[in-house]
Amino acid sequence: MNPRHLLAMPLKAVLAAGLTCLAGAVFAQSADPDEMARRVDELASELATVKKQLSELEQQKANAMPASSAAEEPTTVFTSYGEINYNRPTHEPENAQADLRRFVFGFQHRFDAQTKLVTEIEFEHAVTSAEDPGEAEIEQAMIEHSLNPTWAVRAGLFLMPVGLLNENHEPTAYYGVERNFVETAIIPTTWREGGVQVVGTFENGVTFQTGVTTGFDLAKWDATSPEGALSPLGSIHQELALARAYDLSIFGALNWRGIPGLLVGGSLFTGGATQGQAVVSASVTLWDLHARWTPGRWDFAALYSSGSISNTAALNMPLVGNPTLIPESFDGGYVQAAYKLWMHGSQVLSPFVRLEQFNTGRRYADLGPGLTPAARPTEQVATVGMNYQITPGVVVKADVQHFREDQDADRVDLGLGWSF
Amino acid sequence: MSAQAELGKQIFRDVSLSGSGNQSCASCHDPNNGHAAPNSLAVQLGGPSLNLQGTRSSPSIRYLASNTAFHFDTEGTPTGGFFWDGRAASLQDQAGRPFLNPVEMANASVADVIAKLSHASYAAQFQQVFGADIFSRPDDAFARLTLALQQFQLEDADFHPFSSKYDAFLRGAAKLSDQELRGLALFNNPNKGNCAACHPSAKGVDGSHPLFTDFTYDTLGVPRNPEIGANADPAHFDLGLCARQGGDLVARTDLCGAFKVPSLRNVAMRHALFHNGRFKSLKDALTFYVQRDTNPEKWYPLNTDGSVNKFDDLPAAYRANVNTSEVPYNRHPGDAPALSDAEIDDVIAFLSTLNDGYMP
Repeated sequence: MNPRHLLAMPLKAVLAAGLTCLAGAVFAQSADPDEMARRVDELASELATVKKQLSELEQQKANAMPASSAAEEPTTVFTSYGEINYNRPTHEPENAQADLRRFVFGFQHRFDAQTKLVTEIEFEHAVTSAEDPGEAEIEQAMIEHSLNPTWAVRAGLFLMPVGLLNENHEPTAYYGVERNFVETAIIPTTWREGGVQVVGTFENGVTFQTGVTTGFDLAKWDATSPEGALSPLGSIHQELALARAYDLSIFGALNWRGIPGLLVGGSLFTGGATQGQAVVSASVTLWDLHARWTPGRWDFAALYSSGSISNTAALNMPLVGNPTLIPESFDGGYVQAAYKLWMHGSQVLSPFVRLEQFNTGRRYADLGPGLTPAARPTEQVATVGMNYQITPGVVVKADVQHFREDQDADRVDLGLGWSF
Repeated sequence: MSAQAELGKQIFRDVSLSGSGNQSCASCHDPNNGHAAPNSLAVQLGGPSLNLQGTRSSPSIRYLASNTAFHFDTEGTPTGGFFWDGRAASLQDQAGRPFLNPVEMANASVADVIAKLSHASYAAQFQQVFGADIFSRPDDAFARLTLALQQFQLEDADFHPFSSKYDAFLRGAAKLSDQELRGLALFNNPNKGNCAACHPSAKGVDGSHPLFTDFTYDTLGVPRNPEIGANADPAHFDLGLCARQGGDLVARTDLCGAFKVPSLRNVAMRHALFHNGRFKSLKDALTFYVQRDTNPEKWYPLNTDGSVNKFDDLPAAYRANVNTSEVPYNRHPGDAPALSDAEIDDVIAFLSTLNDGYMP
């Protein structure tokens, strides 16, 4: 399938309908309320039976091996993921690039049944030194303590529960060689903050997260650099590296997995971002809605996210004329469909298609005639490709991407990823 | 201020420490004129009789506290250093050199300077701070003298007042006029003035107010200034960085013609601009910037064959060093200048907001 043809479709309409369609499709065959109620009763009954059986099994297991059970669970678990990518621009092949995009290792250490440490250490671009392009960074370093089977507390440096990708960003967890644009340009994956959060996991499939964290620093905005146009929040995140913490932020995330194969959720983040450094106070707000549904061999996903920054007129006034002023709003969304076309043992071949639309400068505050920047053009990207799972934890990827605005960015991508 | 800085304050204004007996640091770095030259002379006169002329204008010595010694940054860009060619490594190093320059304060030697210092009205204070026997050790005394000048420049708020209208604007205490805002936009715009490429105008990540210089160097091809006596000799050229005292960059012929990017704070107070004082007004200087390549005949003399002797203050071998790639220099005869006459006026209006001492 040619990704150009996909962009000829009314993408905005597709995107707007995507989230509702995914949720609605689950119930599409049960439009009759009586029928739906009957099926819910059946499911509740089956679930109660399963829970009872599970409880009995656990009790039997506990009685049989009271001493050795805990000892067999390793207290420290080593994890890793990584990806090596090759990008070849279609119109500018001389700019083709191969890169060990990231190599991550981490460990989880369980202090006791309730308390564990979760860490991730990432190296980007293979070589990290003063003269090389690589970076070394800590992506997660948090303590999680379970208060009871429902509630847990996390504290430290943790990934923000936003979108579909940010908390699950391993290459085996998403389609395509590169992470999607919406969840990098609008949601600054991999986005982490320092703070405290509570996590509630309920039997009805609801997961609720809320907390207080560090936030963004608008003093880092560089109006002379294109970075802010590529990812407004990515250019001002702090990553808990001597993070200014005058302003704190709050967030909440609600996800529902009440029906097998279906995830529906959303998140909201807001907090001050001037950190007492500017003459006016400004805040950053970001929210998203997302859904994923995996009926049979299909895997559907849709997401929409929107961000805003307040008081940008006052912040931008000293920056007038520069190429990258602070946007008042930015947003984007995508729809994606994948299908397990071929399976053999643990090998799975999954073609996919993804349509994205995003704008990192949807609107700018009025600065007066001749000074107010024009809104940026909305970029649309169509990606067609396939993930080939060699074995669970190892994936080979290939795709073709077409950009409607920046057609010089059209490219072919190849990738190798792993995760365990 | 510290006792050292108080001494530095007195030394800074002491005309007795010069060969002529009539020249002090303040003579060429007038506190009432942004600590730059007080007049429109291309080069301030000095020497024992105040009738000798060097080859360069007196730069402002404000806002230099964060400058560093000369070095090449990680991308190989020459950066830092004091004087137009960065030959001094520190404020202290810089402060000492005019005392011994024969066309400036024209003292015969370090001992000569210290002998005069020992008769200054504040000599006892100097001994109190640096030791009763300090004058018996001229080299040490000279080092203390320059140290005192450095401390004065570091500690006296007059050298970094950040009191311009633009500073007030950044603090939210003043509004720029429409014309000043248009000028700021043109100043920042990489396709128009592109001034901010070398004279950054934005606050730092740490909230610091901009100094309007990146402390680098550029080769602008400023026209030869006939006011400078040395230029009567057609074989004389001021090559700047590659020919600086000490000869450490003599092999870097690619840096011939390069001079330091000065701060633009208080630039509207100056009456002689660029290293050779060739232009006397911002209007002329900015028009040169944007018309140097579109109308070179306006700025350079003609050769005998009628062609323009462009970049006439550089030997032919080094004229390729001149920056012709960046806006606004990337133009050719027949192109429209990057700024119109009205836009130049807007930029000048903005530059005038950089004068210290703004009173709302």
